[in-house]
Amino acid sequence: MANVYETSDFRNGLKVLVDGQPFSMIYFQFVKPGKGTAFTRTKLKNLLSGNVIERTYRTGETLEAADCEDVEMQYTWNDGETYYFQNTETFDEVPVSKQMMDGAEDFLTDDIIVNITMFNARPVAVSLPNFIEAKITYAEPGAKGNTATNATKSATLSTGATIQVPLFVETDEVIRVDTRTREYVSRVNTK
Amino acid sequence: MGLDVPAPEILRARADALRAARGWLWDQGFIEIEAPALVRSPALEEHLEALPAGGAFLHTSPEFALKRVLASGLGRVFAITPCFRGEEWGPNHSVEFTMLEWYRIGTGHEGILEDCEALVGAAAAALGQRLPPFERLAYAEAFRRHAGAEPPEDPVEADRLWVNDVEPRLLAPTFILDYPADRCAFASVRGAYAERFELYWGGLELANAFTELLSPDELRARFAHNNAARIAAGRAPYPVDERLVRAIGQHPRAGGIALGVDRLIMRLVGASDIRDVRVLG
Repeated sequence: MANVYETSDFRNGLKVLVDGQPFSMIYFQFVKPGKGTAFTRTKLKNLLSGNVIERTYRTGETLEAADCEDVEMQYTWNDGETYYFQNTETFDEVPVSKQMMDGAEDFLTDDIIVNITMFNARPVAVSLPNFIEAKITYAEPGAKGNTATNATKSATLSTGATIQVPLFVETDEVIRVDTRTREYVSRVNTK
Repeated sequence: MGLDVPAPEILRARADALRAARGWLWDQGFIEIEAPALVRSPALEEHLEALPAGGAFLHTSPEFALKRVLASGLGRVFAITPCFRGEEWGPNHSVEFTMLEWYRIGTGHEGILEDCEALVGAAAAALGQRLPPFERLAYAEAFRRHAGAEPPEDPVEADRLWVNDVEPRLLAPTFILDYPADRCAFASVRGAYAERFELYWGGLELANAFTELLSPDELRARFAHNNAARIAAGRAPYPVDERLVRAIGQHPRAGGIALGVDRLIMRLVGASDIRDVRVLG
C-alpha cells in the first residue's frame, strides 16, 4: 500500500501525488467554519511543469506520497542551457534544464553539493544549501559620506548573481549569501 | 530571550476594547456570569473536539451554562471566558481562545444582530475607530456573489466552497443570514431557514448567533443526530447535558450569540495572527 499523508502531516516541502503528478507543498493553512467541517487549504507546485494549483482537503482526507528521493549531487559544468551534476555515490551524471534550475543557477559555486529531488529516476527539483560563500567580482563604488545604515548597492558575484549589499562591501571581498532570499548575510574573513 | 507576548500597545488596545464591550453589556442590563470551564458535557457538536480534563472536559463554549442560567430567570446574561477546542491551530485558531457570549429573552436573532453591531461599534469606538454600517447578505446570495454558484447540497462541499471562495471575500463587516434549515446547529428553524446569523469581517468569522430552540425534544433529537455523526466519523460521542434539556423551553423566545474576542481584536488592531493579540501558555 502506498504511503499516505493525513492533513495533520501537511508541511511545506511535502512531496505528494495528485492525479498521478508529483507536487511539492508550498503553503498550507488550517481553516474551519465554527459550525462546519475542518479543512486544510494548500498550494501545490507541480514538480514537472512548475505550475501551482490550490487544493483544499477535509480533515480525514489523505494525499498519496510521491515516491521522491532527495539525492546529493555535485555540480560539474553547464553549457548555458543545461546544468550537469554528478551523483556523489554512483558517479552517474544528471542533466538539469535551466528552467528546472529555477534561479538556483545564479548561486552555483565550483563543485557545490546540492540536493536534487528525483521522481521516477528523473530530476524534478534542485535545492541549494541555505547559505553559500562567493567572491564579489564587481561592486559599485560606495558613495562617500552616505551613513544611512540600511543603504545598499548592487554587486555581482562570481556565481553570476547580482544582489544588494551594504555600501561598505567592496569588489574582491568574499560574502555569505542566503540562497532562499537572495540576500547578503555577512562578509567572510578570508585572511 | 523573547517574552513571547503581544506588543504592549496591542494588549492595551485589547483591554480598552474589552472594557468598552463589557461596559456596553452592563449598560444594557446584562448580568455577568462566571461560566464553568470544567464541564461534564461539552457543546455536543459534530465538529468540535473538547479537551478531556480531570474526568470531565474543558468547555468549548459557555453556551450550555448560560442557557441554564437564562432559564433560571435572569433575562439578560453574558460571559467573557477562555474556551478550549482541540485540533484547531493556525493563524486564525488557537486551542485556547476567548469567547464573549450573551443571551437575552424577548427577542430572537434579529435583536441579537442589533446588539452585535452596537457592541462591536462600541469596542471600535474605544480605539477611536468608526465602523461603517454592517452589510447583510443571505447565505445563498453570498455563494452566488462570491463563488458564482448556488450553495452545494452536500454540506462538506458547501463548507469547502465557502472557505475557498466566499469567506475570504467577506471583507467589510457583514452579517450572513438565512442559513438553510439543515445548517441550523442549535438554532430554531422557521420554514426553509434556520433562525441564525454569522458575522464576518476581513475574511474572518467573528460570531455566530441563534434564535434559541424552545423544544426539549428537538434539542434531544439534534444531540442524537450529532452523536451519531461523531460515531460515524470515528469520534467519541459526548454525554447529553440533561439539565440543559430541562432548561430549554422554560424561558420565552430568546436569542444568543458567541463572539470570538481574539478575532475581533485582530480586526480592530489589524493583526493577521491570533498570537499577536493574545498571551498564550
